Amino acid sequence: MATIEAIVSVVLVLLVGGTAPPDSVVGNRGGEAQRSYYAAVFLNRGHVSGGVVSNIGLFRRSPGDTAWSNIYRRNLFTFGLGLWKSGSTTRQYIAAGNGLHRSVDGRKTWRVLTDWHTEEVLSVALDPVDSAVIYIATPFGVFRSTDDGARWQKKMSGMNSWFVRKVMVDWSDRSALFAGAEDDLYRTTDKGEHWTPLHVGVPGMEAVVQHPADPKHLLVGTSDDGVRVSVDGGKSWKEGKGLPNTAFYAVCVSSDKQTIYAGGYQTGLWKSNDRGFSWSLLWQDSEIEAIYTIFVHPDVPRHLMVGTSGQGIYESRDGGKTWSKFGLNGCHVKQIELYP
Amino acid sequence: MGALGALRTSNVIRFSLCALVLTCVSARSLPAQGESSPAAQFEKRRQRLLDVVSQERDRGFFTVTSKFITGRDTEWAMAMLDSLTTDEGIGGMFYSYTAIGTYLRLKDQLPDSIKRKIRQAYRTRTMYRGDTENHWVMYYTGIYLAAQTWPNEDRSQWFNGKSSTENFKEAEQWLNRWMNITSTIGQGEFDSPTYFIVFMTPVLTLYEFAKDPAMKRKAQMTADLLFADFAVDHLGGNYCGGHSRDYPDDIANPLSAPAALWAWLYFGEPKTELWGETRYHPRHRGGWETASGATSSYRLPEIIYRIATDRSRPYIHTETKRVRNIIRFGPEKNPPAYKYMYMTRSYALGSLQGGILQPIQQHTWDVTYISEKPNNTIFTLHPFYSGKELAMFFPEEQKFLSDEVNRYHLVYTNPNKWNSSSPYEQTFQHKDAIIVLYNIDKEARQSHIDGFFPKTLDERIEHNSGWIFCRAGSVYVAFFPLKPYEWIEEKVNWRWRSSVAKNGVVTEVGSSDEDGSFEEFQHRIVKSKPAFNNFDKTFTVHYKTRRGDEMKFTFGGERTLNGKKVDFRTYKFFNGPFIQSERGSGIVKMTYENRVRELDFNKVIIKEWQQSKQ
Repeated sequence: MATIEAIVSVVLVLLVGGTAPPDSVVGNRGGEAQRSYYAAVFLNRGHVSGGVVSNIGLFRRSPGDTAWSNIYRRNLFTFGLGLWKSGSTTRQYIAAGNGLHRSVDGRKTWRVLTDWHTEEVLSVALDPVDSAVIYIATPFGVFRSTDDGARWQKKMSGMNSWFVRKVMVDWSDRSALFAGAEDDLYRTTDKGEHWTPLHVGVPGMEAVVQHPADPKHLLVGTSDDGVRVSVDGGKSWKEGKGLPNTAFYAVCVSSDKQTIYAGGYQTGLWKSNDRGFSWSLLWQDSEIEAIYTIFVHPDVPRHLMVGTSGQGIYESRDGGKTWSKFGLNGCHVKQIELYP
Repeated sequence: MGALGALRTSNVIRFSLCALVLTCVSARSLPAQGESSPAAQFEKRRQRLLDVVSQERDRGFFTVTSKFITGRDTEWAMAMLDSLTTDEGIGGMFYSYTAIGTYLRLKDQLPDSIKRKIRQAYRTRTMYRGDTENHWVMYYTGIYLAAQTWPNEDRSQWFNGKSSTENFKEAEQWLNRWMNITSTIGQGEFDSPTYFIVFMTPVLTLYEFAKDPAMKRKAQMTADLLFADFAVDHLGGNYCGGHSRDYPDDIANPLSAPAALWAWLYFGEPKTELWGETRYHPRHRGGWETASGATSSYRLPEIIYRIATDRSRPYIHTETKRVRNIIRFGPEKNPPAYKYMYMTRSYALGSLQGGILQPIQQHTWDVTYISEKPNNTIFTLHPFYSGKELAMFFPEEQKFLSDEVNRYHLVYTNPNKWNSSSPYEQTFQHKDAIIVLYNIDKEARQSHIDGFFPKTLDERIEHNSGWIFCRAGSVYVAFFPLKPYEWIEEKVNWRWRSSVAKNGVVTEVGSSDEDGSFEEFQHRIVKSKPAFNNFDKTFTVHYKTRRGDEMKFTFGGERTLNGKKVDFRTYKFFNGPFIQSERGSGIVKMTYENRVRELDFNKVIIKEWQQSKQ
């Protein structure tokens, strides 16, 4: 097994080369018929937490399906998804209320990798080369495993707040990561051993995005102050102009690598064509209280989806001009992905 | 021998060594003496409760178990059990421990088909762990017992992809950790008349079925601790004073809370069978879970029974608990919560220090008194709510939290709610007097404070001195509002409301035992009037109690008693005539007359002895 992974690692290093986000962790190209949409559903209406819940967890909608089906756990509070793929090896991850779940057999069986030391797992980040290296963001800090989830270590040195919403590997340097914490955005260059604040200037990191064409181009959605942009790797930050000063939970760079979308609490969907410095409202629906996540089809940039709070998924196939419901009505959808 | 076996062997050896050094250990504690003894009376109530519950047809494991144990209606019980084990829509932490508890209790009576279904549940359903302390206690109790019951099974046989050994080890570690925390710095969800049941029931289940003697003993000690914690705040079935979490109906009507039925079963109070009374709803949030006590072999040590019921002398009791895990917007994870209780034979005045100690359901202070009538309590609160408060404790997006919690708990954003924590509320109590101050921020969504005054009071008088005097039987309450107010009539109560942001009330409680007639009480009270000149700038109140003690309290500042600063940081874990413990020590000593029972959580031993009378 170790030999196979070593070969895979070498191949990935050759493929990735530190010049573009690796396919191993961000989704894969392939025939449409081979891919399905996956949605992480956190809540359905009428529930905060408790014993008996249905209609949340991991959902799938395959080509030809007219509805989403729950394929893993009817009562799993699901915050996010992750995929690691190399050749025929695929590992899917679910960041959930009771830990980090992983499947290595095409979602047939799952294993919870974390134990009582971690509480909710809010997001997962995967080393693009070494599948044994996993990072999770939790309400009590960033944890790292270097042995495929068998053991976890808290990695918080240099951080001033322990609530971390989002952790993300820098696609240009697999030793570097970003962590969106309550007070600031942090960066590490030694796989989490030490963190340095990037001084965004406002608290509450809700979304963290690194542009797929420019690793120094960073965008964060904040809990009260719109979107902040840096084009120098976090040395300086600017406010995204035109946006309301409220929570932005989702920021997404289109697969055309030009357009950037953002959405949040009672904001509608916003669009920027100048790297996130200025924004215009693209679409708003009074039914939608908030946008949690934005998905742009990797091959068809005009094909958009948004995951909402309580209104399921909306879809547009014309770049956001017109929208229709795409299922999971009543659900809080935290993440949408197109996976093989 | 696998790791699980090794762990068990290790614990057996450790426990055996501990047992050798016990001075005296007895699960049954002090000996029973005849039919009038507490033990004999408990046995009668236990049988009575089983008899009543076994006649019910509620859908639940406790009803089913009661029917099997009494031999009543077992055909229906079997069908119900089959339904509970077939319905894939059921799962989670509540199911996690009740399903395995029922299995272990009834396994000799259950057909293999049912046993297989229960086993299957731990393979296919998500026993979701949840996000609160009580959730985790239920979850890990269930996982511990299930892994113990089906050892040596591989990862494919469990819903979470962990083997029996892995599940057992994780559950054992967490349960040990929780019991250590609970016995050193206290529960986060402490002293809750409602949530008491979802701690006590899994702890008793763990005690009943854990094979590891050390775990069993620790569960017994934890049950003792939780009962003792209740006992010192107990009066006639009421769980008195400040609570971390409670529901509005139970706050306004203390004997409707599920803990009251536990008090009836274990403390013998109230004397009447609660389920026959309109003020108690036995199905109310799982009241029949008390049946788990009736089926348990755990027996309350008599010393705790005495602590719960002997009110021959008034006493002061203080405690330190902890705030539930703070995940953001706070300087530390579990700041201390301080409790003060003044207990008499007819009333109890108890309080927390104020501020946000728990989200959603905090109850900061009250006077609760013995009464044949419902709604036997008086208290005030600021009905605070905010997304930021919730975000301190829950990881969801701050702007949603109020709405989400409101959907589930229904009342969170209601301006008329009867439970709330508030950063704008602080208390200072000394014996039967309390000053409660409010400094409500301009940005707060609710700018008023409310007081609950039951219509069942015998008298409610607005005296021209500014005092409001209330009488409920032989209990007297004097209530002094610092600012103008109004009365709003509601179904069971008068709502006292003041809409002044910088505000406060002073309350003294008395009784015919101490004060003679109601008129004499009033006469003593009006001699002293709170001094609060320039309050809007100083936020300071001086008050000399009818006993002559001088209290001075500044919101956000000092509390002084007779000129000496009161420092909550000096509070012990437990401190009073009945329970003593240093914070962090893991040793809890209970004292009643010359009897002592000591729980040593470090060594997992219980000691009992009699000390010479002073």
